[in-house]
Amino acid sequence: MKKVLHIRNFGLLLLGAIAFFQCQDGNTPITPDEGDLTDIPYNPKPYAVPKPAHFPEVPFPADNPFTVDGIALGRRLFYDPILSADSTMSCSGCHLPQGSFTDNYAVSVGIDGIAGKRSSMSLLNIAYANNGLFWDGRSKTLEEQALLPVEDPIELHTTWANVIEKLRKHPTYPEYFRKAFGIANKGEITKELAAKAIAQFERILISSGTSKFDQFINGNIDALDEEELDGKLMFFDEGAAYNLPDGQCFHCHGGITLTGNQFFNNGIDSVASLDDFRDKGLGGVTGNRFHNGKFRTPTLRNIAFSAPYMHDGRFQTLEECVAQYADNGFGVENEDIFIGQMGFPLGNGKYSGLNAYQQRALVKFLHALTDTVAINNPDFQNPFK
Amino acid sequence: MKNVILSAFAAAALISVSACKEPADPGVDFAINFKATYDSSQLEKNKPYNFDATQIVVQRYRLYLSDIALVKDTTVVPVTDVVYLDFTPDQAASDLSKTPRIVFSGIPAGEYDGIRIGFGVNAANNAKQPSDFPAGTPLANELDYWLGWRSYIFTVLDGRMDSDKDGDMDLPYSYHCGSDPVYRVFTFNQHIHVEEGHPELNIEFDIRKLLLNDNGTYYDILANNATSNLVTDTRVAEDISSHYDTATTIKQ
Repeated sequence: MKKVLHIRNFGLLLLGAIAFFQCQDGNTPITPDEGDLTDIPYNPKPYAVPKPAHFPEVPFPADNPFTVDGIALGRRLFYDPILSADSTMSCSGCHLPQGSFTDNYAVSVGIDGIAGKRSSMSLLNIAYANNGLFWDGRSKTLEEQALLPVEDPIELHTTWANVIEKLRKHPTYPEYFRKAFGIANKGEITKELAAKAIAQFERILISSGTSKFDQFINGNIDALDEEELDGKLMFFDEGAAYNLPDGQCFHCHGGITLTGNQFFNNGIDSVASLDDFRDKGLGGVTGNRFHNGKFRTPTLRNIAFSAPYMHDGRFQTLEECVAQYADNGFGVENEDIFIGQMGFPLGNGKYSGLNAYQQRALVKFLHALTDTVAINNPDFQNPFK
Repeated sequence: MKNVILSAFAAAALISVSACKEPADPGVDFAINFKATYDSSQLEKNKPYNFDATQIVVQRYRLYLSDIALVKDTTVVPVTDVVYLDFTPDQAASDLSKTPRIVFSGIPAGEYDGIRIGFGVNAANNAKQPSDFPAGTPLANELDYWLGWRSYIFTVLDGRMDSDKDGDMDLPYSYHCGSDPVYRVFTFNQHIHVEEGHPELNIEFDIRKLLLNDNGTYYDILANNATSNLVTDTRVAEDISSHYDTATTIKQ
C-alpha cells in the first residue's frame, strides 16, 4: 500500500511539473535543466532616455523601467521578423526610421499581402502618447499595443505561442531575456516580457530637438525664414498682430510634440449622418455614435517623411492636407469646432479660409519640423544591419 | 566627573521634555468631489441646453485649480497646490461628464469657515512649462499649455450655439482662458467639517452661470464667441474667469 502511495505521489508530481511547463506560452515544454539561464549574469543598468531640454521627462510605467538590456532586447525584437508567421516581417515593416517610423503606404500590408484599412502611425515621441494608441485608441499602453500585431491576421499573422517557442529555442534570445528581465529559465520567456521590451525601445524614439522649429523656440530667431515664420504664426494662432489669419492647427496638434493625443473628426469626410462613416474610428471602440469618424491626432514632427497622410492615407502631400483644412470642413455634426474656424472671422461663425500664400506658408512651417537627426539616430536603427 | 553626570542628566531631561511634546498632527484624508453642471444638472456633452432664447451644446470643459486651501479666521490650511480636471475626456463612452474625486492626505481635522480656490495656474507655476514638471503630474500635461502665450490654458470651454434659432448648432464658441491676468482667486464661505470618514466636500461648476454676466444677463456669445489670440487682449478670458465666483457651489 505504501509503495502504491509513493508511485501515486510521484505521478502527481510529474503531472504537476508537466502541467506547469505546458502552461507557459510556448507549445513545447522546457525542462528546468535545459532551460536554466542562471549562469548568465543579471545586472540591470538603468537607462536615462536622452531628450531635448525643452521636452518633458520621458514617461514610463512603474513596472517597466528603462534598462540598457531591456532596450537592446526590445530593439532586436522590433526589427526581427521572427515575430511573424513566415519570418518575413517585423514591427519595423510598418514603422521604418526613414518614414519617421511609418511605412509610407496609404494603408499597411501584412505578410499575406492583405491590405489593412489604415495607415501606420509614426512612433516618434510615442512615449508621450497618454491617451490611447492606434488611430482609434483601442490600446491603452505600448505594452498592450505591442501584443496585437503579432496575432492580427492582416499583419504578422501568427500566434504568440509560436513566437514564444521560437524565442525559447533561439540561440541568443534567452540570454537577452535573462539580461533584460532576470528570468531564471527559458520557460519564463513570455509574450508580456517581449511586449515590455518592445515598449521600452519604442519609448526611446524621441526627437533630437534640432529641427528649425526647435532652434527657433530655443532662441535662434533666424532659424525660420519669413514664410516659415508666417506659417508658424498661423499654426499657433499668433498672427493677429501681423494681419495673419488663424490656422487653428495647434488646438489638435498642440504641445511640444505637436499632438495633444486627442481624438477628433477633422472634417475630411462628407457624410450624411454620423452612422455613415466608412471607418468609425474611436466610435468603433467606444460604441458612442458621436465618436464615429474621430481619430487620434498624429504628431506633426517629421511629418514631411511620413506621407501619405490621414488615417487612410488619402492625401499624398502636405499641400493637399492644408488645402482640405483651409476649406473649413463639411459641417458634419461632430466635426471639431476648430475645423470651421480657419482664416479671418467673417461674422456669424463663418471664416475666410486661407489663401494660396497662407497655405504655402503653413506647409513651409510643417517642413521646418523636419528632424533628420532623429531618424538617423544610430540607437534607433536596425541592429541586424 | 560630577559635571559630566550633571550634563548627562540635563541632556536626558531635555530629550525627555522634547519627547513629551505632542506629536505633529498627521491629519486625515479629505476627499473632494468635483462636478460640472448645467443649470444644476450634471453636464452632458453635446446635449442642447437652453441659453437665453436659444440653445447651446458643450463639447469640452477642462479646468486647472491652484492653491486650494481651507480657511478659518486668519488661518489658511493648504489642501493642494494644483489640480487638473477634465470633465469631458474624449474617449469616455458616455457623454455624461466625469465627476473626478480626489483624496487629499494630511489635512488637519477640524472646523473651517470656507475654502479658497485659485482658478487657473498661479503665476509662479505659469512661468514654467510642462517640461519643468515630473511626468504624470498635472502641470506636465501638454494638452493645455499654449506655447504661443507661454501660459497654461486655465479653462477650456468649447461648444456650439444655435445662433439663428433654427435647430442647427451653427456657431462654434471657444473660451480658452489663460495667462496671468486671467487668474482669479475666490474664497467661498461655507462651514466645512474635516474629520476622517466625515461626508465629503462637493464642488460644482455650473456652465450656465459661467456664461452669465454679473447683472444676470446671458453672455453675448454671438459677439464674443472666442477668447482673443492676442496676448494683450484678455477681455473675454477675464470675463469668463471672473464668473467662477458665482458659478461655483460648495456643498457638504
